[in-house]
Amino acid sequence: MSENTCAYRQSKEEVAEWLNSPEYREMNFNRKALSINPSKACQPLGALLCALGIEGCLPFVHGSQGCAAYFRNTLNRHLREPVPTVSDSMTEDSAVFGGQANLIEGLKNAYQVYKPQMIAVFTSCMAEVIGDDLNAFIANARNAGSVPRDFPIAFAQTPSFVGSHITGWDNMFKALLQSLADPRHGRWTNGRLYVVPGFDAYPGNLREYKRLVSAMGIPMTMLPDATEAMDSPHTGEYRIYPGGTPMAELADALNASGFIFMQRYSTVGSYKFVKNVQKINTEVVTMPIGINNTDKFLMALQEMTGKPIPAELEKERGRAVDSAIDAHPYIHGKRFALFGDPDLLLGLTGFLLEMGGIPAHIVCTNGTEQFRKDIQAVLDASPFGKDCGVHVGRDLWHMRSLLMTEPVDMLIGDSHGKFNAKDANIPLVRIGFPIMDRVNLHRSPIVGYQGAINLVTMIANTFIDQVDCTCPDRLFELMR
Amino acid sequence: MFVNLSKLNLREECPLSDKGAPKLCLKALPGEGAERSCAFDGARVVLMPITDAAHVVHGPIACAGNSWDNRGARSSGAQLYRRGLTTDLMEMDVVYGGEKKLIQAIVEVAAKHRPKAVFVYATCLSALIGDDLEFACRQAQAQVPVPVIPVNAPGFLGDKNIGNRVSGEVLFQQVIGTAEPEGSHPFAINFIGEYNIAGDLWGVLPSLEAIGVKLQSCISGDARFDDLRTAHRAKLNILVCSKSLTNLVKQMEKKYGIPYIEGSFYGIHDTSKTLRAIAEAFGDADLIARTEDHIRQKEAETRALIAPYRQGLEGKRAVLFTGGVKTWSMVTTLKELGIEVLAGGTQNSTPEDFLRMKALMDPEAHIIEDTSAAGFLTLIKEKAPDLIVAGGKTKYLAHKTRTPFLDINHGRNLPYAGYNGMITFAKAVARTVFSPVWEKMQKPFPAGGDVP
Repeated sequence: MSENTCAYRQSKEEVAEWLNSPEYREMNFNRKALSINPSKACQPLGALLCALGIEGCLPFVHGSQGCAAYFRNTLNRHLREPVPTVSDSMTEDSAVFGGQANLIEGLKNAYQVYKPQMIAVFTSCMAEVIGDDLNAFIANARNAGSVPRDFPIAFAQTPSFVGSHITGWDNMFKALLQSLADPRHGRWTNGRLYVVPGFDAYPGNLREYKRLVSAMGIPMTMLPDATEAMDSPHTGEYRIYPGGTPMAELADALNASGFIFMQRYSTVGSYKFVKNVQKINTEVVTMPIGINNTDKFLMALQEMTGKPIPAELEKERGRAVDSAIDAHPYIHGKRFALFGDPDLLLGLTGFLLEMGGIPAHIVCTNGTEQFRKDIQAVLDASPFGKDCGVHVGRDLWHMRSLLMTEPVDMLIGDSHGKFNAKDANIPLVRIGFPIMDRVNLHRSPIVGYQGAINLVTMIANTFIDQVDCTCPDRLFELMR
Repeated sequence: MFVNLSKLNLREECPLSDKGAPKLCLKALPGEGAERSCAFDGARVVLMPITDAAHVVHGPIACAGNSWDNRGARSSGAQLYRRGLTTDLMEMDVVYGGEKKLIQAIVEVAAKHRPKAVFVYATCLSALIGDDLEFACRQAQAQVPVPVIPVNAPGFLGDKNIGNRVSGEVLFQQVIGTAEPEGSHPFAINFIGEYNIAGDLWGVLPSLEAIGVKLQSCISGDARFDDLRTAHRAKLNILVCSKSLTNLVKQMEKKYGIPYIEGSFYGIHDTSKTLRAIAEAFGDADLIARTEDHIRQKEAETRALIAPYRQGLEGKRAVLFTGGVKTWSMVTTLKELGIEVLAGGTQNSTPEDFLRMKALMDPEAHIIEDTSAAGFLTLIKEKAPDLIVAGGKTKYLAHKTRTPFLDINHGRNLPYAGYNGMITFAKAVARTVFSPVWEKMQKPFPAGGDVP
């Protein structure tokens, strides 16, 4: 209490200064119970994004209604698109008697009002705590005539108090396969590679994956494919279901000739299910951010399918390398702080290192010990990575202390980082989810060679802009 | 789908009672949509703009992870309220209970962040696992020198309005009347239900200053905790958003004898009307005269400034889909720009709001009953409005159907209150309706290569 009381006596200015001090940093890192400015969302939000990727699919939140409104709001703001979702609005009665009545009525109303081809049901924490049995409830809803008996419904348990949005994405994805994919037909395959994006709120990235795989001449299905749901062309008509992976291709998923997962941490359970349980030829790659990671992705494709990397992609690589060379003076030796989802951080760190950037602080709220090891291995492989601190399970208030005591030149992360960037007086380059205060960033890929060019452009030009805005007249220059 | 206003007798169907949630805020049907938020959100709406307090969410990451600093309520001073503070309950907490973690969290935040008070919010999860919020707050209170205030409005209580009411109750029971102001002002007032979205409050303050009225406290836009404690010494309450803080003004009237009037600061007409009502409530001849002068001057000024916009907008038709005070106040505001309201609806208004709206609108206009996305799309198709005035969740539906859209809820960046706000509003409406994006680009691709 002594130090606490001391804090009370300080003036506003003193407090501000104290918040920036190494002593405060230590106290801040000893914080146990309180999370301040967290950088993660909950499971059902991830499940919702996953479900949006199936054609004609209506995401359905089994739980109290506020959750669904929050998810919609967050996704609306990032994607600037309508996001169809319903909730069965559980209230106090449901807490006492269970949510079955809500689910039965909810499925009936949703089926009639929104005319989906399938419904993906997932839980919020309320339903999880009272222990609702989705399997039985859905069977009872079918018996009660809420939906036709053979109407496809996938369901996933996605408690908000376990994991984060990436766990929810994983759980929903696995549930889609378990509930709606036909069993495997022995050794026969449909000859298609299934590409699984993981929790990725950039339609630009999904388009880029499809373009790259198609350029390799590989027949593919993206599963799930939320590209259109996240970024549908304007036609003057609102379509509730603007596209996505066709139901038939979801049903045929377990007959794939192979699966490639574009992220590790948002697909942990699904990866195991596909590879170990279904025994399908499966690869997982580091999110292909930067040139090396993209090379590895294309080589994995080559190895899985035997298809050579076409000259067209080699030329594209050459352009990306050229852009990296042109921009290297602006990035080399600059210090960076990064935060976001584990897969994104793994890819971005590789990219920064290959540009000669110095990652100084990495904060991953929803990272695991395995993530810590994996990213440490990436850092250890480069002399530029030797002094980087990796902070798993920490929040953006921890990040603030890091920035104040060991300053960097740039912060990279989603919009929530803008408070830190302002306090530390450094630029924030917005990468990740959610981005609520800039337009169109999610439409440009940050993966593949084109993504590398985009990243180089964003980062280098932000530094150049900063010089133009802050330099004295005698250093103001036409060329930079 | 629609109820014709002239056929709907709201008084019969929705008795205006003091107790319980407003009857018109029908419960959301399971499966109909995800338009409405929850009681927890309603509580945050009211209390979060208390800028120098810490707001700790006792729950899983869902509730605070998605909602910190998401409402655009601005502060002229402290920024503490914008911080996302949560106990981020995880599986082990669910098994063993989260009370200890909560107590520790309150102590941590009170010690290190120098709040004037700590508001602690229950969520569905913490309520269901049986954490005793009041008990935890009392325990924490023994260790920290600032008030620790439990807010028991878990999401499953129902709609947003219920959360608003709970917050009003919390303020009345635990905050208002706990301190005395320095000195007194003959014309001290409170605003109730003004959240300073995008700086709305600041658009009204110049008028108050001009007529010599003092704002004792604003509940709760740009509020400082200590000002709220002295709110009981105001002479008059102005209920700005009648949505669900009606309970608060009524209780303040009973206990402290503070009369209340309702008012709105959207549009010239309502701004003037409310200022006039304030002056008349005090009954001071000088104040009334000053107010009339101010109104005359500002109305003339404002009308002159919006005239060019009105000229273009005359005869346009709008659909209004919002909540609370805006349901009726926006009808008048749009009329001032020559815009007719074809249909109006709300998810969160009180019966009083509806009655007012009804009185203002053309008897043939419709009330939107079906608040789902599906219902909304049918409405757009049938009415083909020139403009939709609504909140963020409707925005992209409107955009997809090529209907000019103006955000009136908390997603906006511009203040629309007061006389200056009206000018901003007129510009924003004109910019929305007359954008070339609605015209040129919606033509189909010229197939024959024949660009007009």
